[in-house]
Formats: sequence, structure tokens, C-alpha cells
Amino acid sequence: MEQIAVQVSDLVVAYGSFVAVDHLSFLVRTGEIYGMLGPNGAGKSSTIKVLVGVLEPRSGSVEIFDTPISDEVAAKSQIGYVPEEVALLDSLTPREFLEFTSSIRKLERSATNTRLERLTTAFELKSYFDTPIAALSMGNKQKVAIIAALLHEPRLLVLDEPLIGLDARSSRILKELVTHHARKGGAVIFSTHIMEVAEKLCTRVGIINKGKIVGEGTVDDLRKLVKGAQGSLEDIFLKVTEQEAGMDEIIRGLEEE
Amino acid sequence: MKLSELWRISRTIYKETSFQSIFSLRSGGLLPQRTNSDIKRLVRNAELNTMISKIIMSVFIAVFGIMVFFPFGLRSSNLQVSEEMTVVGTVSAFLAVLMFLIVIMGLQVSTSFFSSKAVDFLSTLPLSKRDVSTVALLCFLRIFDLPLLLAVAGFPVAYVFFRHSVLGGLAALLSIGVTEVFALALTTGLAKFFYARIAGSSGRSKWKAFLRLVLMLVWILPSFGAYIVINFWMEIIQFFASFTQTIFALSYVIVVLYPFSYGFLVSYATFIHGFSYISLAFAVVSSLSYFVFAVYLVKWVGGTIRSIGAGGVFAASKEMVKDTLIQPLSPWLGIIRKDLRIASRAPSYASIFLLPAIQTVILVFSFSWSGELGLAGTLGFLTGMSFMTVLIPPTLFSIEGLASAYTRSLPLKKRTLILSKTFLATLTYILSLLVIFITASFLEKNSFPILTFGAVHILAVASANMLEILLLAEKFWKEGFALGNIFARLSTYILILIPGMIIIFMPIFAAIVAALFYQNLVLQVFFVVGCLEFLSIAAITLYMNR
Repeated sequence: MEQIAVQVSDLVVAYGSFVAVDHLSFLVRTGEIYGMLGPNGAGKSSTIKVLVGVLEPRSGSVEIFDTPISDEVAAKSQIGYVPEEVALLDSLTPREFLEFTSSIRKLERSATNTRLERLTTAFELKSYFDTPIAALSMGNKQKVAIIAALLHEPRLLVLDEPLIGLDARSSRILKELVTHHARKGGAVIFSTHIMEVAEKLCTRVGIINKGKIVGEGTVDDLRKLVKGAQGSLEDIFLKVTEQEAGMDEIIRGLEEE
Repeated sequence: MKLSELWRISRTIYKETSFQSIFSLRSGGLLPQRTNSDIKRLVRNAELNTMISKIIMSVFIAVFGIMVFFPFGLRSSNLQVSEEMTVVGTVSAFLAVLMFLIVIMGLQVSTSFFSSKAVDFLSTLPLSKRDVSTVALLCFLRIFDLPLLLAVAGFPVAYVFFRHSVLGGLAALLSIGVTEVFALALTTGLAKFFYARIAGSSGRSKWKAFLRLVLMLVWILPSFGAYIVINFWMEIIQFFASFTQTIFALSYVIVVLYPFSYGFLVSYATFIHGFSYISLAFAVVSSLSYFVFAVYLVKWVGGTIRSIGAGGVFAASKEMVKDTLIQPLSPWLGIIRKDLRIASRAPSYASIFLLPAIQTVILVFSFSWSGELGLAGTLGFLTGMSFMTVLIPPTLFSIEGLASAYTRSLPLKKRTLILSKTFLATLTYILSLLVIFITASFLEKNSFPILTFGAVHILAVASANMLEILLLAEKFWKEGFALGNIFARLSTYILILIPGMIIIFMPIFAAIVAALFYQNLVLQVFFVVGCLEFLSIAAITLYMNR
């Protein structure tokens, strides 16, 4: 049965006088992969950081499966998060890092280990399991963050640019896992700049610009809404974020140099 | 490129390094949440804090430098030390102190400097390798500029002023210059060793873990050395002076050893007469050899800093892993295990973390020399031990800043965090107490007062630790920032430490007052004050984090 996984109402995030997220509201239901799109500095990561409890909003409310985010432990227990900037505890090895996160999440040992074995094999991280995270490549660090996000089988996955640095194989596996997660009744919020990925993977997208949602729905819905968009999500995105105007002249100018 | 331009570039890199080392932003990832003016303020604070740290270090050096000219301890002692030998002893001791002070400062900041990888960025610019190397070296020197300049310029001038010997002043200049190069080389060498053998080493076996622990201890030995020098500087000066005086036949051997060779050189240059030509020749040749070695080390330091800054030491290697089994614990134990693991691999954490243990060893030395401890001795003993313990919470909490943009997304209760860190910090005090018990039993001393008062004082120590962590946690939850290394943020550390020290001292003060009026009630008063403190701070913690 479909359920509301995330409910964001009238969210405002501000840094001093700068308003990064301006009265934003949206819903994500179970079974959905919600694509969060927007140009740099649009407010996507700020919104995501509020959703996962890293950042306090100025006003508005966020509920994760009917639990307000102010009930930190209960809300965060239901989330698996991959941050935009993979900032883990560098001096620990992946094994030690995952021991820490699973301790905080109070995971049961045997079930966790079974799942961990599958995930490390899938993402080919076994060979680096006892290597300090500081010595890992960006892609391998990303894999550690992804495994940490999936290990406790969260109901909601919040993935902020999760494909950055991943090799083709791991990207494919992650996309399959995300699809499977939604199909099983979980919910996913997926932030990306790669329009092709969003178009193929997401069941619904929300386009954020200057802290507000400027377009929301399935890609087909958006096509109908946005006049002049030639068809791809990229065209729609550039139109609704008003980034298309003057782009041809800029490109021509650069080419003439 | 001109040196002046490279010096200018090094300022930018240095500013960046100071900033990162203070706020642990490199991996925290929370910077975009700050406003423009807020970030500017943080940058200014970073510069101010590093300047304060340099000034404090310079004051330390100046205080020890002055002791060279006023060796009161030697005059009051029973030793018959000639003036020439006094100069040899005091100058050698000062060179040792200077080296250890620079190394302990380097120990704290060099890891931040290298981990910031600020030099990485320079390598991508159209600068020659030599220029990048020079900028890295200049930037590294900026970390120590004030203490280095004070020592290299101040000490020779002061020497000429107090000893009325220009030649002695010149010899002092040479000895300080060489010592500073040795200190920087030692810091750099240890940093390279740390990255190659500790931070970058992998492996889960018990042997590898043990090896990492041993390497870590080797790494932080200079800081222990500095600490011992600070505690026993008078004894060291006496030792140096009496050693060279009483075993004069050995002076030919000692004269070639650093730092004695420079002690002798400065003394020869000051008094000219009173020494044999052979020992003079030995001193000159060995001092010049050390100088040549120092010139080589300058080049080596430049190259090594560049290679470490550019991440040349780290290399991930694939290895066969038997299994991927993990052992989740309860959240509070998970935090403690994580903290211990991080502290065991980061010298800046480990050195502070081990300080109470070192303090205890030093106290135990004093304990073994002195007779039975009375009430005053016991309370003094406890004050020293517990003051060292309250240094731990800020260091322990700064670990939370390392990946705060990630770890804050975990379902972690603030209360669990506070209690686990309080437990860990208090445990170091309890371990110190155990060391004292074992030593006292071994030395067949009456350990009853120190153990009874020490055990009761656990309440106050735990309260002080809890209060400090509570203050830090409130700041962290509100701002998302944790303090970086202790040397870069000394002033903020002091503000956090003051309430902790007050809590520690209150039962001791109450016991002193009780001793004046009701001697039979000293322990009871000590216990009641400690209990009240613990109950009040525990209640505040629980109330604020319901």
C-alpha cells in the first residue's frame, strides 16, 4: 500500500540573510524514485541536509514516514544517506567505519554480516576492506558511503550525487539496487546533475531553482507543462531553470575565440 | 620565480592550512552552510588563533632562554660547577628544550599541514618543481616563524648583552640555527614516517595492530621528551652541568655529541681560555660537521614536504581479506572504539590522550623520591593528575568534526555521545590512579590517602569532563563545527578548560578549608562536594538532552 515517505512543507533554509531554500514543499511516496534536479547553488543539497538531519531549517517541517525530523533518532534510523562530498573518517578502514555506523544504528550482527558480504562483493570493495579510507580512491570512498547507506536496509534512501567517481559496473549495480529498493516499497530521493540518469531512473522529478520548486512530476508531465521543450529532460530542465536563454550565443562566442 | 613572490604565495597556502586545521573543514563538508561574513570571521579567527599559539610558544622559549643566564638552581645546589661548564650545561639544555618545543608544536600542526594537501593545488599551476618545493618549505616555516625568529635573533643578542661576548653570541647564533633545522627535519621525518607507516598502513592482524601501536609510540616520543624537559628542566640543567664537570675525561667524547658540541663551542667562544686546544678543535670540527649536515637537511626538508604535500606517500594497495565480518557494539561502546582507533592513528590526538599517563609517570617518579605523602601532598598530586585529564575532552570531541557532514546524519543521541566521551576521558584518570596504586605497592609506600582521595575525586573529574563535553556538544550541534588541533585553537580550548578546572579544584579547595577547621571531616567534605558536582552536572546533561 502506498504511503507518504517524505513530506516537506514550507521549508526555509537560510544562511544569515541568504535564503537557500525558499518555502519549499514536496512529497515522496513509497515506491517512488524522486529525482531532485537543479543548477549549482539551487538549494538541493541544503534541502537534502535538512532531510537527513545534518542541517536545521529556519522554518517549515519535514516528516520521514510520519516521524518529524526533530525526533532525530527515530527519523534518522529510517534513512540511508550518501552525501555529496564523501567525508568519512579517513583514518579508519572501511571495516572499522562500518563497525562504527552499525554500532550507532544498533544493527544485529549476523544479519548485518550476511548483507555486508553481499554488498562488498557487489561493489568489489573486499580487497580494500582493511585499507585506511584516506588511502582509497574517490570511487572506492563512494562505495564505502553507499554500503554504509544500504547496510541497515533503510526505508528511505537519500542519495546526493551518488554516481560521482563510481566505475560503470558499480554505477549499474547502484541503479539496479535503487530500482529494486523502490519496487520493494522503499522510497528514494536521488539528486543528480546527469539528466539522462534522472530521466531513465526516476519515477518523478522535482526541479529546484533559487530555492523553489519550478517544475515537478513525471518527465511526461513536465513535457506537457513546458512549452517549447523539445523532449529530453535536459531541454525541460534548461527551460524551467531559465538557463537556456542566450546559451547559443555564449557557445558561439566561445567557439569563435 | 623570485623568492619574494614565492613568499607571497606561501602566505595564501599558510592561511588555508591554518583555517583547515582549526575547523576540521577538509572532510567536515559543512562550510557551504556558513554565510560569507561568517566565513570571513572564521578565517580571521584562524589567523588570530595561530598567532596566539605562536606567541605562547615563543614565551615558553623565552622563559627557558632566560634560565641560561640565570641558572639559580645551579647556584643553590651543592655542586661545584665552574662558570665555563655552567655555560656548556645551560646552553646544551636550552638547545634540547628548543628542539623539543619546536618538535612538539610541529607534531600537532604538521599532520594538519600535510593532510590539508594545500600544496597539491600548487602542483597543478605552471610552477617549477623547485618553486613548489620552496613554497611548501616557506609555508611550513610560517607555522613556526615567530618562535624560530625569536630564538635565532633573540638568544644571540641576549647572550651578547648578558655575557658581553660577541664571539659567544655568534656561536650561539650558529647553534640555534642548526638546532632549528634539526627540529624541522625531525618534525618532517616523523610526519613522513607517520604517513608511510601508520596512517597509510593497512591490515587487520593483531601483529599489524601491535606494530602500528609501537610506531605510534615512537612517533610521539619527542612530545613526551618535551613534556619531561618542561617538568624537569632544573634537574636537566643540573645533570648536564654536573655530568660535564664530574666526568671531565669523557668531555672529549661528549664534545662531539650534539647538543654538547655547541655548548662547548659557545663556552669556548665566550671564555676563550680554560679549555685545551684539542677539545676546542673537536668542538669546532663537530659543530661545523653538524652545520654542513643541517645545510643538507634544509634541502631534504624542502623536497620531503613537497612530496608529502602532494600526497606522494599514500598508496592504497589491494590485499587479500579473509572475511568482511564486522562486530557492531552498543552505540556508546561503538563511539569509544571509534575514538580509540582514531586516536591511535593520529599523533595530535594520541599525544594529548596519553598526557595523563605521562603525567602519572612523572608524578610517580616524584612519589618514589619523596617520603610518605601527607594531605597537602595528596591533594597536590590529585590536582596535577586531574588537571591533565580535563585536557582530554576538547581533543576527544574534535574527532567529531572530522566527518560531521556525514556523522550527524546518523541516529546518534547527544546524550550517548556526551556519556561515552565522559566515560573515556574519566577512564584515563582511573588508569592513572591504578598506575599509582601499583607503583605505591611496589615501593611499599602507604597509598591509602592518595587512593581514597583519588577514588573520591573520580566524581569531580567525571563532572568536569561531562561539563566540558556538554559545552562542546552544544556548540557542535548548533554550529556543526568541532575544534581542530589544540595548538591552532589554544584560546578557545582555554575557555572550555576553565570551567572544567574550576570543577576539579572545588572539592580540593573545600578539603583544604576543612583541613583548617575540621580535620576529621576532610574526606567527608571532599566526597560531598564531588557528589554535589556530579549530581548537578549529570542532572543538567540529562535535562538538556531529554
